[in-house]
Amino acid sequence: MALSRRFALGLISAAALAGSLVPAAAEDTIKIGMAAPLTGVAAEVGHFQQAGAELGIERVNAEGGALGRKFELVIEDDQTTNPGIVLAFSRLINRGDLVAVLASLRSTQVNAISADAKRAGIPVFFGGTDPSLTQNGNPWFFRTRPNDSFSAKVIADYGVNTLGKKKWAIVHSTDAFGTAGAKALTASLKALGIEPVLVQGFNNSQADMTPIVLAVRQSGADIIASYTPLETDVAVLARQFKQFGINAPWVGSASVASTTALQLAGPALHGTFAVADYNSAANDEAKVYFDAFSKKVGRPPDYTSAWTYDSIRLIAEAVKKAGSTEPAKVREALLSLKDFKGAEGTYNFDQNGDGLRGYNIVRNDKGTIVFERHIAFDK
Amino acid sequence: MSLLPQLLFTGIGIGSIYAMVALGFVLLIRSANVVNFAQGEFSMLGAYAMVILLTGFGLNYFVSLGLAVVAMAIFGVVFASITYWPLRDRGQIPVIISTIGATILLSNLILATYGPSPEVLPGLFDGAGFLVGNVFMDSQYLTIIAVTAVLVGLQYLIFEKTMVGKKLQATSQDKEMASLLGIPVIAMIFGTFAYSAALGGLAGILVAPILFVSVGIGPLIALKAFAANIIGGFGSIPGAICGGLIIGIVETLGASYISVPYKDAFAFLMLLAVLLVRPQGLFGERIAEKA
Repeated sequence: MALSRRFALGLISAAALAGSLVPAAAEDTIKIGMAAPLTGVAAEVGHFQQAGAELGIERVNAEGGALGRKFELVIEDDQTTNPGIVLAFSRLINRGDLVAVLASLRSTQVNAISADAKRAGIPVFFGGTDPSLTQNGNPWFFRTRPNDSFSAKVIADYGVNTLGKKKWAIVHSTDAFGTAGAKALTASLKALGIEPVLVQGFNNSQADMTPIVLAVRQSGADIIASYTPLETDVAVLARQFKQFGINAPWVGSASVASTTALQLAGPALHGTFAVADYNSAANDEAKVYFDAFSKKVGRPPDYTSAWTYDSIRLIAEAVKKAGSTEPAKVREALLSLKDFKGAEGTYNFDQNGDGLRGYNIVRNDKGTIVFERHIAFDK
Repeated sequence: MSLLPQLLFTGIGIGSIYAMVALGFVLLIRSANVVNFAQGEFSMLGAYAMVILLTGFGLNYFVSLGLAVVAMAIFGVVFASITYWPLRDRGQIPVIISTIGATILLSNLILATYGPSPEVLPGLFDGAGFLVGNVFMDSQYLTIIAVTAVLVGLQYLIFEKTMVGKKLQATSQDKEMASLLGIPVIAMIFGTFAYSAALGGLAGILVAPILFVSVGIGPLIALKAFAANIIGGFGSIPGAICGGLIIGIVETLGASYISVPYKDAFAFLMLLAVLLVRPQGLFGERIAEKA
């Protein structure tokens, strides 16, 4: 009911517009959909994602758009839930006028829309880093962040070869992201001949981490690795590690170095390491994005928004290259882009739709995130 | 090295938080016969009030605390006149639904005005805590345990030993009869809402240094506090305290000795077990009146 009414309203207003003095070009924009968590647990991240995408739109429009048309963003709220994103995604797809859609940063949500995305028949960009997401034969999935098989390789490589640690404790959230990350890290460590002394899962949004922290202490680990998406969990964990006198180096997934976690945990996170797909010092585009985002939002950007910015620019580039907004041609163009320089890194999409294969290691130096090094793999 | 003392301390600390919010629930059940689903939101609002006063205006900790608690008491009266008063003669269900509505409204109002970004609220003591043997005593948990103990004592005295408490109980049991006996029913009910909101707000302020201040803290605490009420016996003050402590201890021990991912399940398994074996709750004997 609501949809058809909206559709009818759309028709009426389109007709009204077409009949009025407004030039055709004004409404003939290239529309990109976006399902973002504007409310719910990840609402804060949602607004960063939105700002990143808007900056992408501003940039491609300032560079003249594509095919003589400007780009426009259409946003639906996914409420940070799986049912929420399924609804938001179907609303977007049912419009029928979108060239591509940006979906979630959360792997579990990307899983939720996987089947719908396959049927939708337009490129769907996402930032969830569970490696298996691009391995179910969906030709329309494009990932604009490096997946966790690479973050795991990078964490293992850095911890074993640079920090020289052998007794690993892995703590992870039990959602799709955390479980897949812990599995990938266990495999990467095994490849280096190491069996972790502890692999401990926990549910998101914990008020208290004492049982986990005690398990880490009991295990006698000399290095801690973490895969957990929520900043509040990172902060609680960090505080309790310090309280229980655990000072082993901690190399975590991206949330450990996120702006929010730094603000919440303060000194408890000093000296920790994180894999970060986005770091302002990693390359020139990253710096450009840093300046633009800081100016627009008043806070430094992090991994939560750089991928939406890159996705928009990639779509624009692909549309230009394809000379068309036809989905199959845009897809071909995306797959054939070579060394596209984005804020997250240099994109070369493989047949699965994975664009990036490396991570930065960053360190929390008394509250400031400093770039350590970039570790990349060929495949 | 045994983990048990540490786990017990943490369990009691977390349990005291549940107990404190559960106390707020119980008060309204006992005096106004209202099951207030917005109790968790009282905590959230209290914590935000504290953030505004302490961080925003830069006031002294105790001045901020006092002002925040007073503000919450006033808010409790406003809350009662909107969600409870117009529906007071229509039985329990409409009031329950109206408090659920208030929950949705309040959390979204905060989200819209204050934003989704979690805030940091410092605790009463700057130090993080100290070691006793190999047990780490988090100063914030200690504060919570102490404040809960004092409030429990106070509430027991008020309800069981003073005239005001007896009047409150009489009001809850039969408003008409109470007012025939010369009890100022309206004042009693509004007073309870004010106290309950102040208590909820105080719980939020005490919990905030541990959980941070965000829209999510309301439901995170309230759900367990509600379970604590049922385990302890609906409307029972000792029940709310014991229920809260039991949940805190069971989930912490269960997480450590059995399975961390099933931590939340232990609390609710406990709830199911109590409902099966002793449906009126551990301390409940008033269930017949509520049914």
